[in-house]
Amino acid sequence: MEIYFIQFLHGLVYGMLLFLVASGLTLVFGMMDILNIAHAGFYMLGAYIGYTIVTMTGNFWLALIVAPVAMGLLGSLVEQYFLKKVHMHGHAFELLITFGVFFVIGEVVKWVWGTFPRPVDVPSSLAGSIHFMGITYPVYRFFILFFSFIILAVLAFVFLKTRIGFVIRAAVSDAQMVGALGINVPRLFLYVFSGGAALAGLAGVVAGPFLSTYPGMGLDMMVDLFVVVVIGGFGSLLGAFLASLMIGELQSFGILFIPQLALVFQFLLMAAVLISRPAGLFGEKV
Amino acid sequence: MKKSSFRRLALALAVLVLLLIAPHTLTILQIRMVNEIAYFALFAVSFNFLFGYAGLLSFGHATFFGLGAYTAALTLKHIAGMPLLLSIVMAGLVGAIGGAIIGFFCVRRKGAYFALLTLAFNQFLWAIAWKWREVTGGEDGIGRIVPQGSINLGILSIDPTKVEGMYYLTIAVVCLCLALGWYITQTPFGNTVKAIKVNEERPLFLGYNVHLAKLFIFTFSAFLAAIAGSLFALFQDFVATSSIDLAMSTQVLFMAFLGGTGSFFGPILGAAIYVYFTDWVSSLTDRWEFILGVLFILLVLYFHRGFIGLIPKKLKEALVSEKSS
Amino acid sequence: MSILELKDVHKDFSGLKVLFGINLALEQGERHAIIGPNGAGKSTIFNLITGKYTPSRGKIFYKGEDITGHPPYKVARLGLARSFQITNIFRTMTVFENVRNAILAKNRVCFHIFSRLAKMDGIEEETERLLAQIGLLERKNELAGELAHGHQRSLEVGLTLASDPELILLDEPTAGMSTEETLEAIKLIDRVTKGKTLVVVEHDMEVVFSLADKITVIYYGKVLASGPPEEIRDNQQVKDAYLGEEKK
Repeated sequence: MEIYFIQFLHGLVYGMLLFLVASGLTLVFGMMDILNIAHAGFYMLGAYIGYTIVTMTGNFWLALIVAPVAMGLLGSLVEQYFLKKVHMHGHAFELLITFGVFFVIGEVVKWVWGTFPRPVDVPSSLAGSIHFMGITYPVYRFFILFFSFIILAVLAFVFLKTRIGFVIRAAVSDAQMVGALGINVPRLFLYVFSGGAALAGLAGVVAGPFLSTYPGMGLDMMVDLFVVVVIGGFGSLLGAFLASLMIGELQSFGILFIPQLALVFQFLLMAAVLISRPAGLFGEKV
Repeated sequence: MKKSSFRRLALALAVLVLLLIAPHTLTILQIRMVNEIAYFALFAVSFNFLFGYAGLLSFGHATFFGLGAYTAALTLKHIAGMPLLLSIVMAGLVGAIGGAIIGFFCVRRKGAYFALLTLAFNQFLWAIAWKWREVTGGEDGIGRIVPQGSINLGILSIDPTKVEGMYYLTIAVVCLCLALGWYITQTPFGNTVKAIKVNEERPLFLGYNVHLAKLFIFTFSAFLAAIAGSLFALFQDFVATSSIDLAMSTQVLFMAFLGGTGSFFGPILGAAIYVYFTDWVSSLTDRWEFILGVLFILLVLYFHRGFIGLIPKKLKEALVSEKSS
Repeated sequence: MSILELKDVHKDFSGLKVLFGINLALEQGERHAIIGPNGAGKSTIFNLITGKYTPSRGKIFYKGEDITGHPPYKVARLGLARSFQITNIFRTMTVFENVRNAILAKNRVCFHIFSRLAKMDGIEEETERLLAQIGLLERKNELAGELAHGHQRSLEVGLTLASDPELILLDEPTAGMSTEETLEAIKLIDRVTKGKTLVVVEHDMEVVFSLADKITVIYYGKVLASGPPEEIRDNQQVKDAYLGEEKK
């Protein structure tokens, strides 16, 4: 019985992490019609920056600030100097350039940090395990859950209760219209894109002690992200949330019951969704 | 009209003659390089049938290249007395079947969705290749594929275990496939594919079954890619997951772009530049992939017509008379 | 038997209901205009007939055959052709190539791989003939996207007619045209649709009253009135609806 609960928690932890990354991706797609392939790269780079800061200064909390800021900056550079320039050539070129950025990030990571996994130490304040409802579970993973929920709450608040959140939701629905109403849409795009990148970087730092940092983590995340966005629908935050949790749990329990299929599990799920509901469970844009 | 097709034919014959006599003047290494360029050229052209002609961007084209490579390897290894040429044909068939199945799921979607679907299927098949060690050898792969002995075609005899033999085999198959590909672009079906890229919606209302057209071109593209893959397997005498991984999918994308996706010949040029360039740069530094990535970004930003855009327009038109898009 | 029939057709888009039980019947050879304020659902009716959307409820019959839910290419092959309100041509292809695309479809050779396009003389002839009919023969090698607006509209009509359809649906064919261009367009439409069934969505009353045998007024997703022009002209409800809209 305990093992199921533990697996459930595992799934929840990974699912929330996945949602942190996916939220930026799906918003950007909903607003700008761009599927940012580099997004998984921001996550990975954030994780590695986190690793470096933790290793050099021992200060995990510092990493939680520096990495998102760095990724936010990188994101704004990519948006301003790459995406904007390529916009007129159509969506294919936007895809290509973000793909190029993802590729280069991957190479930079291998160059600077090498090809071997680099585990990140769990900060001492969050080390150890606690006894909880009959099981022993690492404190750090609870931290991930707790932290993700806080971010989720902040996001929800911003979205549903603030003016900027309202504007963003409107822009997801119809960016042109929002522009016609006097909102500076290019600036909005920039903020959302960098914000999403920062969030991905933050998720990367948090993931470090949990998943370790390794050069393939970008690609692994990208595949999961894709499945999330397909199932949850392109542009739907709620869909991304539910789909992330679903993927987290399915992978967690899948590994438990059918370990041989673990690698291909997500694809089977994705294929099933694709066959039955092409627009995903929640989204409209296909 | 007639003048330009005569010119084109003359040019093609000239290139063919050059290719035929090349082994007598080049070093072994150079012959092998041209060999490599040849099958990659076919691979890149197959990619461009999807992107340049149909407007479908695939991030997972290595799926079919790998399917072809593995098919050739497995048929030669496990079927006694398997003729080499037949293994290539089989590879093409398996690629086409794979293309039809995967294409069925992918072509219903557009743009980013399509691109990521192709990537997902690529990853899926890569995972299978990686895990199914008993059949594919996993990461270690399958080696020593090419059987001893020559291929006898009556008056000709080609020994693929020799550098020159493999070269001639590759050139022959590639030229045949490229000719077929070019021919298709000149047919009404070729026009259908081009029209769909220009306007996705109107053909539907004119009576075109757009979905089916996309499926056909996807299948054809997969067929060509798989044949290229089989030539790759034979050339290397070895097949592993590297034939079907993301790096291979990325590579063909780079090649096509480098040369220029706006024409039939661009990707051929791109393959040549890519093979030559990576060979050169990798001898200078370990970071050649990084340089490649940066170059790719610069290409997309500033030079998206590719190297073929460098050829003066008049010269291009005089030789080929094909409009770039 | 009516050539086209809409029976109790409803359409809603994820909660937004656009059409509430449309009934329409067209006789062969009829020239029918559909008018109504913007957003009333006129283009939606076109899109339903031509297969772009599927009715949420109700059925559509063409020559007695149920075509509800048919994909656009099937509908087109049955002999229905439509034009678009916003010119929907092949912008980066030449005028000749544009029309040829349509002629190829008409001759059902879209998937043909056994001959080279350049050698298909029959196709070339047919294409040139249609080009002449729409007055664009001299411009055949120009890029469609670079044509003047009026010529693009002619090309638009040309693409619609290429399949030699029995039922032609024109979606605001004179949108954005000057008075002169409109008069020319009316003549062209009149000429090329002789003997065929025509459905036109229009705002320009001049066009409507010159061409139509029968008019249907759509108002907020419902049929307000349907009948010969004189009847519609004198219909009080219609006047209220239109004038009421204009006053707003």
